[in-house]
Amino acid sequence: MHHSYIDKYAELDSVIHKADSRLKIIISFVFILFIVSANPTAYLSFVLYGLILLILLAVSRIPFLFIFKKTLVVIPFVVLIAVFIPFMKGQDGIILFRGIVLRSYLSILCMTLLISSTKFTRLLKGLEQLKIPKIFIMIMSFMYRYLFLLVDETQRMQRAKESRSFGKAGRFRIIRTLSNIIGVLFVRSYERAERVYLAMCSRGFNGRIRTME
Amino acid sequence: MHIPDGFLAANTWVPAWVISVGGLGYCIKRASEALKDKMVPLMGVMAAFIFAAQMLNFPVAAGTSGHLLGGVLAAVLLGPYAGAVVIAVVLAVQCLVFQDGGLTALGANILNMSFIGTMGGYIIYSLIRKAIGDNKGILMGAAIAAWVSVVLASSACAIELAVSGTSPLKIALPAMVLVHMLIGIGEAIISVLILSFVLKTRPDLIYNKEV
Repeated sequence: MHHSYIDKYAELDSVIHKADSRLKIIISFVFILFIVSANPTAYLSFVLYGLILLILLAVSRIPFLFIFKKTLVVIPFVVLIAVFIPFMKGQDGIILFRGIVLRSYLSILCMTLLISSTKFTRLLKGLEQLKIPKIFIMIMSFMYRYLFLLVDETQRMQRAKESRSFGKAGRFRIIRTLSNIIGVLFVRSYERAERVYLAMCSRGFNGRIRTME
Repeated sequence: MHIPDGFLAANTWVPAWVISVGGLGYCIKRASEALKDKMVPLMGVMAAFIFAAQMLNFPVAAGTSGHLLGGVLAAVLLGPYAGAVVIAVVLAVQCLVFQDGGLTALGANILNMSFIGTMGGYIIYSLIRKAIGDNKGILMGAAIAAWVSVVLASSACAIELAVSGTSPLKIALPAMVLVHMLIGIGEAIISVLILSFVLKTRPDLIYNKEV
């Protein structure tokens, strides 16, 4: 199964990929702070931020098209907000809207650059060194470990369903079948978690993760 | 409803972050008191489960589709504290890896979906469950809680956007509530169907501790 979309280009070899993940996290966070607190009318600063991101993107050698596709996730929310613009007072609405769209797009660009140039495990290590609570990091790394397995399992069940139910089925029947798939997925996941926990216990786990580093 | 960066002003996202960090700390404490060292593997796998479950697209109407949100489902299955932690972890990973929801807005997203959606939903669920009792109480409680929690979370989102000066409250709030009153029906139906499956196969997995 192909799940490489999660950190597809994180294996590339550029200056940005090799940089310390702590450094990248801090710079990204500060950069996003600057972006979101920029005045909606400060077009010059938006151009500047965009230019910096584009240069970093070029240095990282991540394909532009890939980044562009990833940044499209912002669109539904932008549309939702755009609906309310005509109701804002006078001309301000349009200016505010333009500023907000620019701000959110640049922030997403920055986050995409961070995750596309850093492997998720390295990102978690960086977050841990930056004193994000250990328990949160551990849960996230477990989630990352089992995400692929469970997504695989879901897709397998969906394929099985599709190969059995061709032709017309009532909408409610489809909904019922899909809900049962989620039900099975939950029971299997829970049982998997118990097996994982027992396996960890039998290897001497006592609530702390020990690593060689 | 994941708010991206840039839609919330500092007067909204900073307090939301503070509330979320504090609330999450409390939830982790309460959940790990109950689960002890089982906490990490169970929460991790359950977060992966919610994530995978959200990937399934349900047919709605006229070619559109929607997916499970899972806040109340997580609370009914895992309890309010563990449920809130699981949803928060899912939100954090969606923000970091998929840019689904912004980094500065993550606090507000956790506030809306983990606390208002999941814990708030659990309160409604447990009240109804106590009043009716039995499996019927579980299903009725989950259905109403799922609907209410979706509507509440979306109103919180509209209020946060209004406080930020991004959209006018008088129009955005009713519009968001109206849309989510429909989305909530779907969430309620799916949650009930999943829970009735679990009740038939592994009824012991429904969270049972009294609040």
